[in-house]
Amino acid sequence: MYIGILGAWIAVFLTLSILSYLYEDNVFYKFAEHIFVGVSAAHWASIAFWNQLQPNLFGRLWPQAEIAALDGFQKFWYGIYHGLHIIFGKIFPEATINGVLYRGIGDQPQNLTYLIAFVLGLFMLFRLIPKIGWLSRWSLAYVIGMAAGLRLYGYMSSDVIGQIHATMLPLWTGDVGSSINNIILIVGVLTGLFYFFFSVEHKGALKVVSRIGIYFLMIYFGASFGFAVMGRISLLIGRFNDLILYSGKEYGFATPILLVVMIVVLILTTRKKKSEEV
Amino acid sequence: MAKVSFLEKLDSLDRRIIFLIIALVVFIPLLVPMGLPIETTQLTEDAFYALDELPQDAKILMSFEYGPSTKPEIHPMAISVLRHLFSKGNKVIIMCLWPDGLFMANEVLDLVARQEFDLEYGVDYVNLGYRPGNEAIIKGITKSFAANFSIDSKGTSISQIPIMHDVQTARDVDFIFSLSAGYPGAIEWVLYAGDPLQIPVSSGNTSIQVNQLLPYVKSGQMKGIIAGMPGAAEYETMVIRKIENNIGIITDEARELLPNFKERRNATKFMDAQSIAHLMIVLFIVLGNISFFVKRRKQKKY
Repeated sequence: MYIGILGAWIAVFLTLSILSYLYEDNVFYKFAEHIFVGVSAAHWASIAFWNQLQPNLFGRLWPQAEIAALDGFQKFWYGIYHGLHIIFGKIFPEATINGVLYRGIGDQPQNLTYLIAFVLGLFMLFRLIPKIGWLSRWSLAYVIGMAAGLRLYGYMSSDVIGQIHATMLPLWTGDVGSSINNIILIVGVLTGLFYFFFSVEHKGALKVVSRIGIYFLMIYFGASFGFAVMGRISLLIGRFNDLILYSGKEYGFATPILLVVMIVVLILTTRKKKSEEV
Repeated sequence: MAKVSFLEKLDSLDRRIIFLIIALVVFIPLLVPMGLPIETTQLTEDAFYALDELPQDAKILMSFEYGPSTKPEIHPMAISVLRHLFSKGNKVIIMCLWPDGLFMANEVLDLVARQEFDLEYGVDYVNLGYRPGNEAIIKGITKSFAANFSIDSKGTSISQIPIMHDVQTARDVDFIFSLSAGYPGAIEWVLYAGDPLQIPVSSGNTSIQVNQLLPYVKSGQMKGIIAGMPGAAEYETMVIRKIENNIGIITDEARELLPNFKERRNATKFMDAQSIAHLMIVLFIVLGNISFFVKRRKQKKY
């Protein structure tokens, strides 16, 4: 119960600290901002390690195996695992089940090609050592090449071909409403594209086409602005809803108390700043 | 010295006064709800009916790509969509492409699957957890789930989870629903799973993303979207209306839970504040423009 109350006080304090930036830049805001950056980075790193690296990389290099049944290379390979277990016991666990010793993680089939990914991952860390930092370029080359190839395919098939296909519409469908919709869509696409075509000077009739393109773009920006406002207001509603929830007796009146304290501190620091300026 | 009118003063108004007014118009309707009516739109209806038409044995892949910063918009959608699917007896496979998505998913599942419907983990639903890799993970599961999710969020091997026994790749799911707040999100699901495998995709997304996603809806690459908080409120209304009017497949548990659904309507509750804040912003824009033109006219005069 006390943990819940403490959590509410922390949530209220951090929310009000961030909102206090609307008044002016201040110590509360800076404190909350730094906490956010640090906690986010640590949180992401921790989640990525325990959800991805440990089960999906180490789990494939060393899936759980009965040690007594291993021989040859596998015996040597699991010997390395044992060494890692001695140093990082939590990451590389060993278990004794019914008197039988098991080493390894999960029950995925062993796949030693993951060693390539492991080595490329290590290369990325070499950026911390200037002398061999150049090795990280190999890893980056792989990431960039893979991402570019993957995205090119996706964009070409769904965005370029898919969207061009969706724009090939009949100008007359038999229904006035949908025909007008189709005409607006086609005119919008063509004039919008023409606005970004700079190989001919936009004058005379071409200027009119380009102008129509701008109007379509302006409508798009206006709609985007409207949606952006809607989104931001929604987020504000969410924070206010929590502030209202935590203002009750069951949470020790967290919101009103912290709000008053912060307003007093902000007024005092502003006054002090002004008197120093004078 | 020329007299300064009220409209001219507005031009140099301290922005903190505007912040304070916005805070008040959001705060007051939250304290004193007005119950403004919710009208459903085509976008939300398309998403709702696409999910509603799925058969009872359908498996839906839900991906959580949002975090606390966009929770007020997307969390109510996640709750409503899960209530809708579980009220039809559908099975749900959950995964996350954002690290925070895992916590959002756990929170929603705890409320809807465990507390409300009392469903069995691993049989009726599963949370596979978060995997870093963005679209590479989406592309990966089109080939093999097990290669990308060797364990679920609780550390159980995927081979020991009953709901996953006949789901080897993304081809084996009947629908993909992305709860998306940015990249990676709904667009990546269309590009790397929906279009290549011809699996229907829909999304619950933030307002900011709506303009980016509309071309995919228009082209049929997405089956409607739930757009921002208004979309969430519409979906809540549609789920309740479906159960109240006994339309389509509805389980007995869902009928019993109807009063609970009606009571916990977060998005609908928030829509009063949203509507009033929008009216105030429209007023600001109109006044700001009038002030600008009055000032410009005066400058031309002198």
